[in-house]
Amino acid sequence: MQSREARILVVDDEDIIRIGCQRILQNPGFTIDLAENGRVGWEKIQQKSYDMVLVDLMMPEMGGLEVLEKVQAHDEQIITIIITGFATIETAVDAMRKGAYDYLPKPFSPEELRTKIRRGLEKRWLLLEAEELRRERDRNLLELSNEKSRTMTLINCMSEGLIATNRTGQIVLMNPAAQKLLNLPPENAVGSTVEGLLGNPDLEKLIAGELETAARTATVTSKEFAVAEERFLQSNTAPLHDEKGEVWGTVTVLVDISEDKKLDQLKSDFVSLVSHELKSPVAAIAGYLNLIIDGLTAGNPQKEREIILRSRDKADSLLMLINDLLDMSRAERRGAAKVKELLSLAPILEETIQFYQNETAAKSLSVRIEGLENLPRVVGNRDDLARLFANLVSNAIKYTPERGEVGVKGRKRDGHIEVAVSDTGIGISKEELHKVFGEFFRARNALAHKISGTGLGLAICRRIVDDHHGQITVESEIDKGSTFRVILPVPSGQ
Amino acid sequence: MEKKKRILLVDDDPDFVEINRMILEASDYEVDAADSVALALQQLEQNSYDLLIIDLMMEERDSGFTLTYAVRSDERLRDLPILMLTSAQEKTGFSFLLSEDQEWMKVDDFAAKPLKPAELVARIEKLTGKGAQDAKP
Repeated sequence: MQSREARILVVDDEDIIRIGCQRILQNPGFTIDLAENGRVGWEKIQQKSYDMVLVDLMMPEMGGLEVLEKVQAHDEQIITIIITGFATIETAVDAMRKGAYDYLPKPFSPEELRTKIRRGLEKRWLLLEAEELRRERDRNLLELSNEKSRTMTLINCMSEGLIATNRTGQIVLMNPAAQKLLNLPPENAVGSTVEGLLGNPDLEKLIAGELETAARTATVTSKEFAVAEERFLQSNTAPLHDEKGEVWGTVTVLVDISEDKKLDQLKSDFVSLVSHELKSPVAAIAGYLNLIIDGLTAGNPQKEREIILRSRDKADSLLMLINDLLDMSRAERRGAAKVKELLSLAPILEETIQFYQNETAAKSLSVRIEGLENLPRVVGNRDDLARLFANLVSNAIKYTPERGEVGVKGRKRDGHIEVAVSDTGIGISKEELHKVFGEFFRARNALAHKISGTGLGLAICRRIVDDHHGQITVESEIDKGSTFRVILPVPSGQ
Repeated sequence: MEKKKRILLVDDDPDFVEINRMILEASDYEVDAADSVALALQQLEQNSYDLLIIDLMMEERDSGFTLTYAVRSDERLRDLPILMLTSAQEKTGFSFLLSEDQEWMKVDDFAAKPLKPAELVARIEKLTGKGAQDAKP
């Protein structure tokens, strides 16, 4: 720090002192400026920053004490040394009280001057260093507070709930997401204790338990709990330790897992439903086989044949069911595994109708096709869309009595197309209509008419339509017929 | 020749009815079938049976109980032995124990479906024998 150049101003009305000081201080480390009176000195001080000012006490125009006062008001870190011809204790004390660093009685030797200057500059450098450190600290504090406010912004923006408590279980931090997840009123909960506040004994106990865990290891306790009907949270709570390893408090992160729970439930419901549907035909086949093995049909070949045929039917329906299940999982698969292309529905629909012509002929059904020629193309997976319309058309045929009518009508609407597959069949009751797209749903009248089915066809349709960002709806009236409408988006530019 | 024991089989699964009918007929029982509670009650009204075999779950979850209750409330049918068959365990997660649940279920025996032919016949023989000898209080 000594390497820096010291800028020194000498203010004295005596030429001899000014010149003398300049000579004595002529040294590469110093820049010396001179002023012949207080006014000129003060002007220079205002224009240039000095490390030190040597100022004579008695001067015309502006005296040394006035200069001293002005310098102090201007920058109290400038070292001021008073030069005085009549060094009395009183004037010295007065000058020192006004902020002078030291005083130098005239006459003085070069050595005296150098010593005062050296000590004054040492003080000056210390002051500057202290000032720099102070600034740095202020800068750090500002950065810290910015960092803190950034962190708080992050915490407040999180969708996960965050609660921090201190050692006594008082809440020291709770973000808006936590309040929302726990259904707490928006009042500031900071400062309250955990007990009773969270309205959730499980979580309160968990946090209290973590506080008691003096374990220094960073263990995280995970727990799931219900906060409301069908609303589940997962909490991850960990103790916070101070530098000595003492438990300082806890931090708890809350995640809303309601959707996961719902999906889990749907999945396990579905698995149990599927298992049941798969079990029935297999149990029947096993039962029939047991009859033959146990010889209960012996001597009655006709009965035996009947049983074998029934078993075969059961095996067929089982196969159908498994195929539908495979189709369903196929329809659910998304992403890269499935190629979607720009395609025209007309050939798919025509092929489908063609495919079922034996069935329509067998029941003498008339088939009406309308508006397929000018349908704009859609983006879709060819196999899935073929399966979609095959399901709808085959249903229409299956549930329509002889000499009825099956219709396939296309039309273009704003930004999408609609394909309606209608029949004049047995229809679906109003009460059951909302269930038709669910898995394994079979309408009562379909069962009564002994029309076989897996109850998965329309569920597959719905999945395919969903995967194509479309919509499927149904209108129906018992004994009048049903109409299923598939609406698919048309990419722009057609 | 002794008169054949007559059984009413109440189940809405036609395969199950068919299989059990053959098993029971082979063991020299006379078998009628009903696929609903209403039809069963109608048959019980018209004919006299030695045993009732009921599937717990038919059109409704508790159809079997409904029918059992109707039978037990009927002066004439009160003592008719009932064998309750159920595949309820897998669907509802409940399992029943005769020792614990007989009291409220008011049936004489119950078993999980499917039952092996020999076991079905053994259980039925026990029930029909018992039903003929001592009337329940």
